[in-house]
Amino acid sequence: MIFSILEHILTHISFSVVSIVLLIYFLTLLVNLDEIIGFFDSSDKGIVITFFGITGLLFTRWIYSGHFPLSNLYESLIFLSWAFAIIHIVSYFNKNKKNHLNAITAPSAIFIQGFATSGLLNNMPQSAILVPALQSQWLMMHVSMMILGYGALLCGSLLSIALLVITFRKVGSTFWKNNMKNKMLLNELFSFDVLYYINERNSILIQQNINFSFSRNYYRYQLIEQLDYWSFRIISLGFIFLTVGILSGAVWANETWGSYWNWDPKETWAFITWTIFAIYLHIKTNRNARGINSAIVASLGFLLIWICYFGVNLLGIGLHSYGSFTSN
Amino acid sequence: MIVTLNPKILHFSKLNPQSPRPRPSPRFHRTTNCKLQNPQDGNKTGSITKTISLSDSAPPVTESSSVKGGGNGGGGGGGGGGGFLKRLPRKVLSVLSNLPLAITEMSTIAALMALGTVIEQGETPEFYFEKYPEDSPVLGFFTWRWIFALGFDHMYSAPIFLGMLALLAASLMACTYTTQIPLVKVARRWSFMKSDESIKKQDFAESLPRASIQDLGVILMGDGYEVFMKGPSLYAFKGLAGRFAPIGVHIAMILIMVGGTLSATGSFRGSVTVPQGLNFVMGDVLAPIGFLSVPTDSFNTEVHVNRFTMDYYDSGEVSQFHSDLSLRDLNGKEVVRKTISVNDPLRYGGVTIYQTDWSFSALQVSKDGEGPFNLAMAPIKINGDKKLYGTFLPVGDTNAPNVKGISMLARDLQSIVVYDLEGKFAGIRRPNSKLPIEIDGMKIVIEDAIGSTGLELKTDPGVPVVYAGFGALMLTTCISYLSHSQIWALQNGTTLVVGGRTNRAKNEFPDDMNRLLDQVPELIKTSVD
Repeated sequence: MIFSILEHILTHISFSVVSIVLLIYFLTLLVNLDEIIGFFDSSDKGIVITFFGITGLLFTRWIYSGHFPLSNLYESLIFLSWAFAIIHIVSYFNKNKKNHLNAITAPSAIFIQGFATSGLLNNMPQSAILVPALQSQWLMMHVSMMILGYGALLCGSLLSIALLVITFRKVGSTFWKNNMKNKMLLNELFSFDVLYYINERNSILIQQNINFSFSRNYYRYQLIEQLDYWSFRIISLGFIFLTVGILSGAVWANETWGSYWNWDPKETWAFITWTIFAIYLHIKTNRNARGINSAIVASLGFLLIWICYFGVNLLGIGLHSYGSFTSN
Repeated sequence: MIVTLNPKILHFSKLNPQSPRPRPSPRFHRTTNCKLQNPQDGNKTGSITKTISLSDSAPPVTESSSVKGGGNGGGGGGGGGGGFLKRLPRKVLSVLSNLPLAITEMSTIAALMALGTVIEQGETPEFYFEKYPEDSPVLGFFTWRWIFALGFDHMYSAPIFLGMLALLAASLMACTYTTQIPLVKVARRWSFMKSDESIKKQDFAESLPRASIQDLGVILMGDGYEVFMKGPSLYAFKGLAGRFAPIGVHIAMILIMVGGTLSATGSFRGSVTVPQGLNFVMGDVLAPIGFLSVPTDSFNTEVHVNRFTMDYYDSGEVSQFHSDLSLRDLNGKEVVRKTISVNDPLRYGGVTIYQTDWSFSALQVSKDGEGPFNLAMAPIKINGDKKLYGTFLPVGDTNAPNVKGISMLARDLQSIVVYDLEGKFAGIRRPNSKLPIEIDGMKIVIEDAIGSTGLELKTDPGVPVVYAGFGALMLTTCISYLSHSQIWALQNGTTLVVGGRTNRAKNEFPDDMNRLLDQVPELIKTSVD
């Protein structure tokens, strides 16, 4: 009982703090930036609080369920938002290196968190029992690596999507005129997918903060370069996690199901995701290739991750069906 | 004073043509024939007081007059002479190692795999006739004819899929041979730069007005660089492993593919359901998968199921299965005994025995003190997770046309539901409770529930190779994240010209360099005169 109360408290803390953080981001869109620079700092602190909230939540679940809290979709979603928070914090402590990750991670964390706690997954939050196949030390290794990989790859591909949006907006736009800006912002709010919208907007704003005096054209060029570079670095990192995750999963499968590769839908989609990001990294080795090409591949990867992470569970097919919506 | 330029401004100057210090594009510049212009240098740097011995044991430097600029050195190179036969493999290699081709192969494989998850695999032909009929094709053209022509009903063993994989493996090898290995050779051919110009052409370049090259060397060593010095010039690098690792990634991929091929051609597999107390011979269960499957001596081993048990959660759901197995050789001697469970298989002589399934074999029941009788349990519902088994204990004249009796149903080995002669619920008993249940004056005791264990047996010669590939892939993927950074410096009078580049962490590199160069002490004027 005490555990479930504690869990409730922690859920609400992390969710409300991250909501406030998002609110701050929205406010900074509409109000003049220079006056509220302090807000950015506070929003970073908010994410730190969220991080501790989610960490506490995961530990609470771990203690009272007796197993590593990654046995169903709800727990893996919470873990995913924890992964976003941790990426955010890492980039927060690297303060001298300004990058746009914060703009990606904070909204991503809140959407994941919001989705996890929303009514959609009504009966999921109950910590389920572990089926025999899941009772293994590999659970911790495999699932945590996969989710960390998904988190990092999602961040990286969101940066690439932001790059695409900024690049394709370039043609014949008066967007950069100051007086038009706020109006356009509001228009865009409804025409763009909300998630991309926030990320991209925030990255622009943060960047503007730094290089306000630079010429716009140059600044945009540099922003694109930066986005390209950071998405490359984050995707490389996520690729490592994904590789380790898939391979540890294969070793586990060889211990449990009798074969290291079964062409199970989830396995196959994870492999497809891996292939797509391998293609991304290969395009990146070509120095002449422009950032757009790789960014298109990365945004395709964004879709594939969701198919792999959710789509397969939605159908509840194959050996990985215990993570599905319909199980139990 | 040490001039440390803000990297942002450096970037700026790269872009802006009006910038006071225009710099040529760092890409693909040629610095052939670097002039050896150091007769004056030697005189001026004479009186630097500090002497530090830096890597005396450095390998002899190839005094290459041409310093390769870009990291991508030309692969292959002069294939003169030789007939057509000699040139053909080279041509094939260069086609295979083509990056767009490799990307196309990977995309095709990804698309085929995706298709394989959309189209149901391994169904009967009738299923496809019905699902993809000719009169209403999916997407206007896709019918069952396509599926059978291309083998999409068994995608992951279809010739087109395996062919793509083989092609990809060929590309991997070709790319490693023609592109990656020459690239490493270039990276390893460490060389000093003899002129300010070539150093300033690097991605990062800077000149320190009053600094000594020895100080820089020490600082770079402290930061983990390998430092080589010769006269007024310095070369340093770190993270060379990051250049090697992609080769390792490719080799690991090939290892995994080889292992996978071995698994597909040389395995045995089989599954068996054995009631507790019975035994079977491994060779009877194992069936060959491919043409390379060769049975071994251990196939004569007899497996005896000593005991099969199930663990339950408090809620009544199954938490784990355990099978206590004894392996006996031809002479009947026990060689191994182990209790296996899901996630904890038994390995013996190349054969692995997995716990995969369970079933209800029989119920031991005694009636009015007689017995116990063994009643075979029949599966009533076996699909899905919820299994159901049932049995029937006839009462009275068993030859009568309509036999009446007691029915017993069970979902697991834990509790048996008993129904009386009229089919009404009579009670639930646990097998070990010895608590009799009274039906029409008969005392029925459920003595024991005998389960069958579902075992899966397999031999797989590919596993060691695949695991080696897995380990190599994990390691090399991680190492690939490292950046290979190279730094050149040249002492030109009291001025120290420093340049460098890196292949991955390009944005952090200028910051790191500035941090290091800030540590280089400023020379006091008198020591130079």
